[in-house]
Amino acid sequence: MPDGSFPRTEVKIKDTFDTIQREKNFKNPPQKGHSVPILNEFVTPHLESFNALFDDSGLPAGDGDGRGLLSLGLKDIGERVVFDGRGEIGSVSGQRGWGNRLSFWYESVSVARPMVPEKDQQARERRVFPSEARERLTSYRGRMSVKLCWRLNDNPIESETRDCGLLPIMVRSVRCNLRGMSSAELVKHHEEPEEFGGYFVINGNERLIRYLILPRRNHVIALNRPSFTNRGPSYTPHAVQIRCVRSDQTAVTNTLHYLSNGNAMFRFSWRKQEYVIPIMLILKALVGASDKEIFEGIIMQDYENTFMTDRVELLLRSFKMYSLCTGDQCLEYLGNKFRVVLNMPEDWTNKALGVWIIQKLVLVHLETPRDKFRMLLFMLQKLFSVVSKSCTVDNPDSPQHQEVLLPGSLYGMILKERLEEALTSIQRTIAIDVSRGEGSVDFFDKRYIKKVIARTSYDIGAKMANFLATGNLVSPTGLDLQQASGFTIVAEKLNWMRYISHFRSIHRGAFFAELKTTTVRKLLPEAWGFLCPVHTPDGTPCGLLNHLSRTCRIVTAPLAVAHIPALLAAHGMTQAFSPYIDGRRNLCVQLDGRVIGWAPPQTLKQLASNLRIWKTEGKHQVPLDLEIGYVPTSHGGQYPGLYLFSTRARMMRPVKYLANGRDDQIGSFEQVYMDIACTPEEIEPNVSTHVEHSPTSFLSILANLTPFSDFNQSPRNIYQCQMGKQTMGTPATALQHRTDNKLYRLQTGQTPLVRPALHNTYGMDSFPNGTNAIVAVISYTGYDMEDAMILNKSAHERGFAYGTVYKSQTVDLKDIQGGRSTSNLNLHFGFGYDIRTEGEKQHSCCAFLDLDGLPFVGTKLSPGDPVAAYVDDTSGRTKFVKYKGDEIAYVDTVRLLGSDAGDSELQKVHITLRITRAPVIGDKFSSRHGQKGVCSQKWPTVDMPFTESGMQPDVIINPHAFPSRMTIGMLVESMAGKAGAMHGLAQDATPFQFTEEDTAVDYFGDQLLAAGYNYYGHEPMYSGITGQEFAADIYIGVVYYQRLRHMVLDKFQVRTTGPVDPLTRQPVKGRKRAGGIRFGEMERDALIAHGTSFLLQDRLMNCSDYSTAWVCRTCGSLISLGYDDVTLGEQYIGPNATPKPTGPGGEYCRVCRAAAEDESSRARKALETGQNGVKGVHSDLKVAIPSQHVLGRSSKGGDLDIVAIPYVFRYLCAELAAMGIAISLEVQ
Amino acid sequence: MNSAPGTNNPSNPAGTQHFAPPVRQEMEYLCADCGAKNEIRSREPIRCRECGHRIMYKKRTKRMVQFEAR
Repeated sequence: MPDGSFPRTEVKIKDTFDTIQREKNFKNPPQKGHSVPILNEFVTPHLESFNALFDDSGLPAGDGDGRGLLSLGLKDIGERVVFDGRGEIGSVSGQRGWGNRLSFWYESVSVARPMVPEKDQQARERRVFPSEARERLTSYRGRMSVKLCWRLNDNPIESETRDCGLLPIMVRSVRCNLRGMSSAELVKHHEEPEEFGGYFVINGNERLIRYLILPRRNHVIALNRPSFTNRGPSYTPHAVQIRCVRSDQTAVTNTLHYLSNGNAMFRFSWRKQEYVIPIMLILKALVGASDKEIFEGIIMQDYENTFMTDRVELLLRSFKMYSLCTGDQCLEYLGNKFRVVLNMPEDWTNKALGVWIIQKLVLVHLETPRDKFRMLLFMLQKLFSVVSKSCTVDNPDSPQHQEVLLPGSLYGMILKERLEEALTSIQRTIAIDVSRGEGSVDFFDKRYIKKVIARTSYDIGAKMANFLATGNLVSPTGLDLQQASGFTIVAEKLNWMRYISHFRSIHRGAFFAELKTTTVRKLLPEAWGFLCPVHTPDGTPCGLLNHLSRTCRIVTAPLAVAHIPALLAAHGMTQAFSPYIDGRRNLCVQLDGRVIGWAPPQTLKQLASNLRIWKTEGKHQVPLDLEIGYVPTSHGGQYPGLYLFSTRARMMRPVKYLANGRDDQIGSFEQVYMDIACTPEEIEPNVSTHVEHSPTSFLSILANLTPFSDFNQSPRNIYQCQMGKQTMGTPATALQHRTDNKLYRLQTGQTPLVRPALHNTYGMDSFPNGTNAIVAVISYTGYDMEDAMILNKSAHERGFAYGTVYKSQTVDLKDIQGGRSTSNLNLHFGFGYDIRTEGEKQHSCCAFLDLDGLPFVGTKLSPGDPVAAYVDDTSGRTKFVKYKGDEIAYVDTVRLLGSDAGDSELQKVHITLRITRAPVIGDKFSSRHGQKGVCSQKWPTVDMPFTESGMQPDVIINPHAFPSRMTIGMLVESMAGKAGAMHGLAQDATPFQFTEEDTAVDYFGDQLLAAGYNYYGHEPMYSGITGQEFAADIYIGVVYYQRLRHMVLDKFQVRTTGPVDPLTRQPVKGRKRAGGIRFGEMERDALIAHGTSFLLQDRLMNCSDYSTAWVCRTCGSLISLGYDDVTLGEQYIGPNATPKPTGPGGEYCRVCRAAAEDESSRARKALETGQNGVKGVHSDLKVAIPSQHVLGRSSKGGDLDIVAIPYVFRYLCAELAAMGIAISLEVQ
Repeated sequence: MNSAPGTNNPSNPAGTQHFAPPVRQEMEYLCADCGAKNEIRSREPIRCRECGHRIMYKKRTKRMVQFEAR
């Protein structure tokens, strides 16, 4: 089954671990197919949406001709036209004055599989595989080219194939060389046996385009946004909006605003600029409708509804001021107004431009003007209905009105835009040449045109690679998306759980992350079965970053639905073109946002149930993925009607249809109006329509892997979903061929004794994530307080939770050389003549480096040891690259990376370093129930408590971890694990298996009893220190423990002295720079509150930026210190020849001395003018320093004292002085 | 540059005092694709002689390596 679901009866859990089968599969992966097929299915939306770009996608054709999105996009781009005449003023639209007409367009685009470049003659394998891209830190891409055609006037068409560079290719897509390979072949090509692809390899990193939630396409939603009133006078908060999607998956959003005067305005955007047009103008332009036609079309015989008639009358009357009567007049008006912004061929008439606007920007999902006209009338009806409160607004945050932006669709949109850009740039280049009157311009000269094409930048591949590498969208139109960055993420292989959940994650959009309101983050009942309620991170992205439920699919294949309107008409639907339909008694029927007919509610209900029976039974070629959204009439509820959806990008999920017991696929729109029982027992006769295949199918893959999650309080399950992704586990089995920056690996991974059925289904045993530990719940040494846990020292010595971190270091001589891509390379790996490599006095680096300048594989490296040596040809000197880390590491692999064509010497080396990480005190562990704790002691085995059978726990946790957290699942797991270990059973821990009558405690209690234990899993235990039996029996069992990647070794931070900031002389921050920990304002408050002022001074001054400074007693300045050279005795300068006052070291205050020197001249001046001159320095701020804080009072005259101040204070004084503010210290 | 004191003349910064072995050392590597042994001298292109692949692995050292076994 494509969704990995299976009928409930088959959920017979095998109680074995299948060890031998697994071993066999590992040794000999299947030659055909895959060992775990389901892993290939959950990424299909990624793959198939990418495949859909190409004509040979392998997807069903649906209603189209099977052409790929790229071909459809090329058609939509159309042609660009230039003229070689000047188009003098006065020439009417037409050929006159324009000269020769040269038009360009794309004929086709092709993308090849990744291949070795032609330059390389020697490679036997011409295909390039993703593992090479990963290992060589390059991108996995194939050559893209377009066929560009041009035509001069009516001459024959000419064409040229233009190379577009190397386009990044999605791994395992139809353009990937791994396509269709079996597990065995994949292993041969250095991939995982279950490699499922769905990502791109960019510079050796695996990056994927994340799903993004978008408004549901081709469906009108009613909005009420107060911000709409800011759009202009008489705008109201009411509007209806539709996101229309073309067949090439590009979208345009149209909004219809309600104005307080009863009018309606149609809004669209063109190149990020918004335009508003009266709706009447468009209605008339579309089909040349008469006023009566419009009136009848909206009112639909409901003449008593004065609310509607009044408003339609207003619409019609207010349009009279434009005095445009016919459709052609409206089109010409539109074309005339928009000519300047459209950049379409100059020879087009205004009418042609008007038609073009309507076609390209108004309800683009519909082809014919008549369909658009009908849909606009429907939008008006819905708008008026919302305004009159006869129907409610739709919630755009509800999954009912949402769909998914598929990676391939986004990729195609960007590609289309880049191609369009290139075509426009050709046109612009020629137009500029013409307007400059350059002599080379000759439309009849093929060489000129080819030259222009060659001159245009066509490196679309590099632009796409940049998009994938950064996630930034560079687009002049914005692609009708709300964000311009954050589209791609790295698929970190931290562990397998994290890796696979990347491919199921779905984001609400970066725009909503900044929103102050939390409404968008709410968990809505509409999301049931589509988005997992448990698997979302807590913190900032909570509720915005969701994960798809396990059985949720995204439709990626086009469906064949062209026959549906006729089918419905044959069963009682009135077709849309019928002139007289009573709007009071008929509801609208829409297929993908096209009005296909009208029918009374009762008929509609019958039609809906007919369609459902047909689609589940495969009759009348109704596709199973058709969504039948029947919205019944209600009082002020959602706008009624029958809405059918067949397009891609919808979320759908399998359930069982009760009427005929068949499988049904339901979408998020229709689910709202269904009654779906969770279990067969819950089915209510005549109420329930569907039943879930399994009660756990609403959970994501990760949430499903939490054992007994139904026993836990739900936040604990949320925590487990997070911690499962931070576990040190098994990231990959092809570890030898991975070049990730950081990989965490658990050496002693085990399969959990207690696991849900899906653990096997998803082949989680290939990637163990933790260890089965004997856990005693006891308050033993006091070292298990506050979520700390005690590890048995012997368990640790036996390898419990032993882990390794793989880090990589790349040495690229090109980077060292400084990016100069000269053909003659100056740097080479190896030793120069200045290094003695042999004999007694050999160079110290020879302990680490081989003769090729690369480290020995297996060498132990300490911080600062050399990892590579290279010679600089110009100086002849040997230089070393050092190991940067601060831990001891071992060289695991050394990769010598060649160039693309294999024709250049060694310039780049990738070194994998292995760092051993035995568990130490301070490392973080967690069970699978959100119960995390920190190892506080490795307690000697002899002192550990023991049971009557002599068992000693591996882990001791505190009983206080349970009451407030209510993780009963962990207690049950402990019992189940204990029983499973004794009986050799793999215990099934699927949630929702037990009931009030048949409890888990009884089930596992009986097993424990049979194994000779207490029914409830507690045992008498003896103190390891005194040997005495504890007063209470101790709960002891087997729990699967995960080691989390947060380790003290990565976190500890100590400092006595160290680097300081050069400006403030305060310690720098950051662990990486050996910085200090900030003693902040709140800490300061605490010390003040405690009255510990000496401690305060110690922290804030003595241990930070203590400094001593001279301060002038007279003027109080800190920054006016000057020195005289007093080694030769005191100086006598000037006519008076008085000794200048200086301190013992020759220090003096420059301000005061200057003032003193000015004294005489000022006095003379004062005599001349008869006024008192301005006295010396006059400070604005005064700070008093008591005398006991003056460190060195100058004994021998002089005005300067030494005080201790924080250095920043001096800096502050200097800064203030720069602003003309003097600070004066009053020294007493 | 040279940690062994006295072996290098400090007044001779360009390192004119050469130590014997020619730098053109021949090293044996393993092809990442076919696993063939390849002898590649320094400044020769990185390419497998057997299959033309462009990645080489360095062979594990033959020297004694002692690990901490605690």
